[in-house]
Amino acid sequence: MTRKQLVIIGAGMASGRLLEHLLEADASAYDVTLFNAEPRGCYNRIMLSPVLSGEKSFPEIVTHDDTWYADRGITCRFGERVVKIDRDRKVVTGEKGDVAYDKLVIATGSSPFIIPVPGKDLPGVVAYRDLEDTNAMIDASGTRGGRAVVVGGGLLGLEAAAGLRLRGMEVTVLHLMGHLMERQLDASAGHLLKADLERRGIRVLTEASTAEITGDGKVEMVKLADGTELPADIVVMAVGIRPETNVAKAAGLNVNRGMLVNAQMESTSDPDIYGLGECVEFDGNIFGLVAPLYDQAKVLAKTLLGEGDVFNVKQLSTKLKVTGCDLFSAGDFNEGDGREDIVFRDPARGVYKRLVIEDDRLIGAVFYGDTADSNWFFGLIQSGEDISENRDTLIFGPAFQGGAPVDPLAAVAALPDEAEICGCNGVCKGDIVSAIEGGAGDLGAVRAVTKASGSCGTCTGLVEQVLAVTLGDGFQMPTAQPMCGCTDLTHEDVRRLIKSQELKSMPAVWQAGAWKTPDGCHSCRPALNFYLLADWPVEYQDDPQSRFINERKHANIQKDGTFSVMPRMWGGITTPDELRAIADAADKFDVPTVKVTGGQRIDLLGVKGEDLPGIWADLNRAGMVSGHAYSKGLRTVKTCVGTDHCRFGTQDSTGLGIKLERALWGSWTPHKVKLAVSGCPRNCAEATCKDVGIICVDSGYQVGVGGAAGMDLKETERLADAKTEEEAMALTIAFIQLYRENAKYLDRPYKWVAKVGLDWVKARVVDDLDERQRLIDAFALSQSVYQKDPWAEHVKDRTDDYTPLADLTLEAAE
Amino acid sequence: MDTAVDTLVKPFIDASEMWVPDGDRLVHAGGNYGDLTEFRSQSEQESFAKGEGLPGKAWAEGRPVVLKEFDGSYFKRTEAAKAAGLTAAVAIPVFDGSTLKAVLVVLCSDSEDRIGAIEIWENRDDLLMLDDGYYGAAKQFEWVSQHTHFPPGQGLPGGVWASDTPILMRDLGSGYKFIRAESAGKAGLTTGLGLPIPAPGKTTYVLTLLSALGTPIAHRFEIWDARPSKVGQDKAAVLADGICAREGALWSDETQAERRVKAWEGLVGKVLGSGLPVVERGGAGTHGYETFVGLPIYREGQVSRVVAWYC
Repeated sequence: MTRKQLVIIGAGMASGRLLEHLLEADASAYDVTLFNAEPRGCYNRIMLSPVLSGEKSFPEIVTHDDTWYADRGITCRFGERVVKIDRDRKVVTGEKGDVAYDKLVIATGSSPFIIPVPGKDLPGVVAYRDLEDTNAMIDASGTRGGRAVVVGGGLLGLEAAAGLRLRGMEVTVLHLMGHLMERQLDASAGHLLKADLERRGIRVLTEASTAEITGDGKVEMVKLADGTELPADIVVMAVGIRPETNVAKAAGLNVNRGMLVNAQMESTSDPDIYGLGECVEFDGNIFGLVAPLYDQAKVLAKTLLGEGDVFNVKQLSTKLKVTGCDLFSAGDFNEGDGREDIVFRDPARGVYKRLVIEDDRLIGAVFYGDTADSNWFFGLIQSGEDISENRDTLIFGPAFQGGAPVDPLAAVAALPDEAEICGCNGVCKGDIVSAIEGGAGDLGAVRAVTKASGSCGTCTGLVEQVLAVTLGDGFQMPTAQPMCGCTDLTHEDVRRLIKSQELKSMPAVWQAGAWKTPDGCHSCRPALNFYLLADWPVEYQDDPQSRFINERKHANIQKDGTFSVMPRMWGGITTPDELRAIADAADKFDVPTVKVTGGQRIDLLGVKGEDLPGIWADLNRAGMVSGHAYSKGLRTVKTCVGTDHCRFGTQDSTGLGIKLERALWGSWTPHKVKLAVSGCPRNCAEATCKDVGIICVDSGYQVGVGGAAGMDLKETERLADAKTEEEAMALTIAFIQLYRENAKYLDRPYKWVAKVGLDWVKARVVDDLDERQRLIDAFALSQSVYQKDPWAEHVKDRTDDYTPLADLTLEAAE
Repeated sequence: MDTAVDTLVKPFIDASEMWVPDGDRLVHAGGNYGDLTEFRSQSEQESFAKGEGLPGKAWAEGRPVVLKEFDGSYFKRTEAAKAAGLTAAVAIPVFDGSTLKAVLVVLCSDSEDRIGAIEIWENRDDLLMLDDGYYGAAKQFEWVSQHTHFPPGQGLPGGVWASDTPILMRDLGSGYKFIRAESAGKAGLTTGLGLPIPAPGKTTYVLTLLSALGTPIAHRFEIWDARPSKVGQDKAAVLADGICAREGALWSDETQAERRVKAWEGLVGKVLGSGLPVVERGGAGTHGYETFVGLPIYREGQVSRVVAWYC
């Protein structure tokens, strides 16, 4: 009997698996002809990354070699493209001739997506899809010191980057989104992955938009939208794949994003044609990972043999093939109403685990650094079983199920003496126990004897637990107020951590500080945002979403939902032109209330949100900038008229006030900061109740700090006496910067000074001239980034943000 | 299976031995010396104080040590070694934190056709520099290596350093652009195994074994992952990578079942269970090769990985 003719287009992993199933079930059912555009048969394409890195050889990843095909009587037409399918005649036409079919399988896979930027066709721009692409990258890496730019921070791009780095190239990864592998990972895991890659010498740029690729006859440079230029000897495009459907389309088959098939893998438009693998679309889904492709192959083998089976779309999990990077992601881990997170972090081991639960079922999981139980969690996601009984211990994996929640003291008690407690200073548990037994009865004493917890401070809790375990009732655990429910660390701990570990992003802080939530809360995010921008003004990018409404809108929200607008009046000085512009703006925008403030400026109250850009633009045109009356930053520098007009004035208090305001405006601080300069001890500018108050005297300037006249009333304390105006400014700026670097968020200077002591402040600002200069330089660096008029910026770029969308009155006012 | 040794292939390593601390001395704890029976019997009588001889030096200095000239050195068994034709040795200490668990010593003999490399790289100024190495007759490759350094993530040593993970590289010199590929190719080096060597000090050490077809360091290499973050609470290990001259690739991809052993299961399990290197000659578990050498790598107080080679 003549055997049926089966023609398969594409010798990828899916069709390879199809052949295995088909031949195993009935080797005599079909005569098989296999077309492949690549000049070779089936190989394990997902292992190309280790071939690129040199950790595998190509022969190791060949699934079916020539002998395998020959032994099974398969006619191979490798290196030959299919140019046409004649469905009426049931003939496939290859570049070298026709083949008739009874059944046809289209398994053409996918093609890489190339972003449509100028220069994309230059030699040296490669995709990452097959062995040829891999070999092109390996060839490029042969040049010592060669530079590679990988466009795309997904699975393929990162594997390419790691491989090229191992081959010796200088590698930069460009990723359009805010964190790597954003489809598979949340921001916290993405941060850990980025840090891991950076440890390998790979540069990672997120939010990087490729604008152009340039070069003379070959690729030489990648230009980003922000103007950054990256020299490159090779550019790898790894931004995604799309189903390869040209052959199917030309044959008139139903094609949407992919070739449409039913659950038996049959084309929806021809019962003798089947689709398989990455080229197909089923039930609205397309496929890029190997597991569903193998499921399809199994179903199609049965279909071709006349047996019944159904392809189902299942949950998928992701693993990255970069040696030493352990990550796992599965299911849906987006935030949403009714969803709960369970987060576990172990900063010392670089472990992050997050489970997402909805309706008492595990629906998503993201793990970094510890993937031991990933299969168990994946099973829970797939089964959808009720996990409510094990919820408390679920994050610890199957080994803990049924047991009691872990007692941290029991864990510390079980630690051997050699267990390292303080990584910064190399202090083991035994050292601490010895110190305690030698009389160190509290944290301070242990720190003094062993240095444990004396650096970054993250082990403070552990040291206290060792104290508790060793002393029993003799030790009272301190009850320091943690920053918020997301962490056990205090604000001070977090600030110390940010500095000592050079943490420059929120995900970095969340990980190092063992945050219990995936991405912080409304309480810790504004504080972290300030701490990070204060410590790393250049490296850290301000996050507007982590600011209170007033700072996001750059205006004070009022109780009726309108806003107040207050232009800056330098040192309380204004001009008739400015006053006219303010009056015109008040008229034009129907401002119901115009108020002279205690800070010597004019407040326009009752401005509608949508009018903000307009009124700001008008005031900008008159030369005025935002008064930052809403911000945790410099508010005003109140002055008296000084020697210019006052017969008691001893110095130019107005001039000094203006200079100070011009130096300090725009800076972000832990809380609002108000200054005043009085020209004589009569103190008309009320300087002695300000955060910084300067009293001019005949001999110079008395600089006081830490005053208050709000909820608390407090007179300033004398920081120092300055002989010159320059020295008074230097002392003020250094004090403000010290406050910025050390204070707890939402502590006014008087509260902060009370905590650290004025002597501590004086030692740094007054006595230590090098430190004073460092503070001044650090402030100048910060101002080079942040001293910008937000009104002008928002008018230019963000006017749409002020279009009314929702009732904002429920959001927390300052 | 019977031991199958290709007699045409000369091994690069002639003897492997293990020394373990016993009080204040290192005592012999096994080894394979092939036909070097005299050297073996003397070694079995030997012990080393801290700082004494090659194993004692590795213990005292807390680092791997290469010794290429026995005469006039601190090597204690010079005469026996000379009689056995041995000319070089590498001592690899196994530390768990600051505690020495064992010292593995491999010994090689010089000849014109012995090609291979056993290298020790250490970090200096954020670069990995060659500390020392034994290369047999691969003199040109030795010279190139002495003038090469690796930033984090680059090349086999840099990759091991940056990932803190053993790495097995293929086809070092044949068509692939391994950083020292040209000279590696000329030297006939094909397979490279790199592994981190934890040491008590702050210096990072990376050991590389570069093997040539004609005089292989081993016919089979395996890297086993035993980290709890990978295998869970059980004392077990999964095969992360491996290659065998006879069986080909030993790894499994994400669609295949992992190869897994528990503590005390087979020779790798013995390394895992004992926490000590294992040198075993013949017998079950050597996959038909003459010698099994298994080396544990410690992290955070437990065996995190086992690297094995079969000669």
